[in-house]
Amino acid sequence: MRDNDSSGLAPDKSRRAFVLLLPFAALGGMFATVATAAFRFLRPVVSASSEKWIDVAQVAELSGNKPVARKIVAEQAAGWAKSLAEHSVYVLPGKNNQVLSAVCPHEGCEVSWRDDESVFACPCHDSDFAVDGRRISGPARRGLDLLPSRVADGKLQVQYQSFINNTQERTPRG
Amino acid sequence: MISPRDTDFGELKIAPRPFSVGVDAGGSTGWRCWVWTTTGVVLMLLLVQFITGLLLAFYYVPSADHAHTTVSFIEKALPAGPWIRALHHHGSQWLPLFLFLHLLELLWRGAYRTRAARWIATVVLLGLVMAAGATGYSLPWDLRAFFSTRVAEGIVNGLPLVGSSARAWLLGSNEISTLTISRFFALHVLLTPLLILLVVGWQLFVRRSNPPGVTAEEEHSENKAESPIKKISRSRAVVVNQQTRNVLMAAVVFLLLGLYSHKFPAPLGPSASNATADYLPRPGAQFVWLYQTLKYVPGAWGSLVGVVLPGLVLLMLAMLPWLNRKPFRRITNRPRRNIGAVILSLSIVFITSMTLISYVSDRRDPRTRQQLAVQVAEEAAFRREPFVPAMLKEADTANVPASAASPGMSATGPPLAYTKLCATCHGEHGEGARQGTLKFPPLLSVAEKPRRSVADIVGILNDPTAYGLEPPMKSFATKLRDDEKREIAAWVVTLKTTR
Repeated sequence: MRDNDSSGLAPDKSRRAFVLLLPFAALGGMFATVATAAFRFLRPVVSASSEKWIDVAQVAELSGNKPVARKIVAEQAAGWAKSLAEHSVYVLPGKNNQVLSAVCPHEGCEVSWRDDESVFACPCHDSDFAVDGRRISGPARRGLDLLPSRVADGKLQVQYQSFINNTQERTPRG
Repeated sequence: MISPRDTDFGELKIAPRPFSVGVDAGGSTGWRCWVWTTTGVVLMLLLVQFITGLLLAFYYVPSADHAHTTVSFIEKALPAGPWIRALHHHGSQWLPLFLFLHLLELLWRGAYRTRAARWIATVVLLGLVMAAGATGYSLPWDLRAFFSTRVAEGIVNGLPLVGSSARAWLLGSNEISTLTISRFFALHVLLTPLLILLVVGWQLFVRRSNPPGVTAEEEHSENKAESPIKKISRSRAVVVNQQTRNVLMAAVVFLLLGLYSHKFPAPLGPSASNATADYLPRPGAQFVWLYQTLKYVPGAWGSLVGVVLPGLVLLMLAMLPWLNRKPFRRITNRPRRNIGAVILSLSIVFITSMTLISYVSDRRDPRTRQQLAVQVAEEAAFRREPFVPAMLKEADTANVPASAASPGMSATGPPLAYTKLCATCHGEHGEGARQGTLKFPPLLSVAEKPRRSVADIVGILNDPTAYGLEPPMKSFATKLRDDEKREIAAWVVTLKTTR
C-alpha cells in the first residue's frame, strides 16, 4: 500500500484501478444487503381472507321478492391488528337467498335499494343495478358482488369478501 | 501573526469537494492512515441508524396500546424484522463508541486547532447520539423500556430549579402514560435525527473556517514550498486513498455489526403492562456506567451525575478550541491538547471501570445473577410465543339486528380460556350468572365504562384489587398465559348489551 499512499504518480496503474474498485464494491455490497432486507421487511403483508361463516338471518324470516338489508360484522386481519368491521349486505329471498354485497363495484360507496324504482342505486356516481345485482346503467363496470353463502341450522350464513373496485373482473382482495 | 486565512472568520463557504470529509491532506502514512478512518465508520453507523429507523417507523405505533404489539410484530412476524431492529439497537451502542474514538482521533491530530468546527460538531454529535439512545429505549414499551423511562423521569425530576416542571414536560402528564410514548417518539424520531442531520450536513456540505477567537494554523506547512499544481494533484491522490480506506473500514465494521445483529437479536420482553415487582432493569450498554454511578451517589445528587456532569464535560470539550488563553498557557505549553487528553482519558477510565464493575457485580451476587437469568429466560420464552394480533374495536355492533348477531354475542365466539375459567361465573357469553346467593356481574358493554380497555382488563386479570374489584374475583396472573389474557380481554371488550 505504501506506493499508493504518498504519491499521485501511481506506478502500477492496473493495481491502482483494482484498489479503487474495492470501495465501490464495498459500498455496493452494503447497500445491496440493506436493500434486500428492506425489500423483504416492507413487502405487503397478505392476510388470508376470513373463511369464517357469519350468520345473516334465520331462513324462516326471509320471504317475498324484495331484497332484505342486513348488517354483518366480519373480522379483518391486517398485520399486527385484527379489527371488526361492519358491512351491509342484501339477501335476495326471491333468488334462492343469494347474498349481495352492498358495496358498489365502481368506487366503493354503499348502494341502497329503491323500492319505487326497483333498483339498487349508488348515491355517489349514480350507478343503477337490477334486483338480481345486474348492472343497468352508470359508470360501474360490473354488477353487484355475490358473496358465498350457505344454510346451516336454519340460519343463512355468509363468508364476507371484498373485491377490487372499478374492474370488470371480480377479483377478491387478499 | 495574521495570515490571509484568518480574515474569513465566520464566513460560510460551500465545500469545494463535499465528500472529502475526514481527510486533511497528506502526512498520514503507515498504520495511522488505517486508524484514522473513524469518520467513515461514524458516517456508516449514522446512515444505518437512519435507514433502519426509517424502516422500523413503517410499522411502529407510538401508543401504550400498540407500541409493544407492533414491536413484537416486527420481531416475530416480519421477514428480516429481527435483523433490522437488532442493527438499530446495536448500532445505537456502537455509534457513541466510534464517535468517542473519532474524538480521540481528532484530538490526536490537533483538530481543535486546525478544524475547530469539526471538533465542536463531533462533541455535539456525541451528545445528540446519547440523547437519541436515551429516548429510543422507551419506545418498545416492554419492562426494560418502562424502567428506563422511570429512571429518566427521576433524573430529570432531580434537576436543580427546573426539575419538577421538566419532569412533567417530559412525561406529558403526571404519570408515565401513552402521552409519554408519543413525546419520546417525537424526540427520538423527529427532533434528534433532525439535529443530527443539521450537524452532519453542516460538516459535509458547508465548511466554515475556524470560529471567531480561534487561531487558525496550517497543519502541513511543509507543503507550502511545493508548486501549486503538484500540491493539488498530490492532495487529490491522498484524498482518494484515504477515502478508500474510510469506505473499506466502514464496510468491515458494517460486516461485523451485521453478523453480530444476526446472532444477537435486540432484546424484547413481555409488555410493560405485566410489571412484576422483582424485575431488575438494566440499561443499554452505553448507559451502564451511568447506572452503576447512580449506586454510589446520594439520590439527591443523581441528576447532577446523570445530566449536569456529562453536560459540563461535553461543554468543556466543545469549548476546547478557545482554551488557548494566557492563564492556561502559564501552566502548560499546549493547554488545549493537555486539557482534552485529560478529559478524554479520565472519561475512558471512568466509563470503562464503571461498566466493568457493573457487569462483575451482576455476576457476583447470586440473587441478582439468578433473577437476571430468569429474565433472560422469560424474554426467550416470550420470543418463542407466537405473535398475537391486537384487536381493534371498529364496528359499531350495536346496530346489528338481533337476528344477525345473537343477543350479547360478539361476531366471534368466546376464547377457549374464557370458557374454561371465566364462564362459570360470568356466563358463557359474558351475560353474568347467579350461584346461590352470589350474583356475578355481566361483562356486556363493560368496555363503555372507564378503565376497562383491553390493557385494563389484562390488568384486572393480573391484579383485580388494583382495580377496586373484590373477591370472589381473583387474580389469574399465573393461571393464564399472557396471550390468553389478551385474547380474553380483546373478546370481552367486543361484548354488547342486548337491545
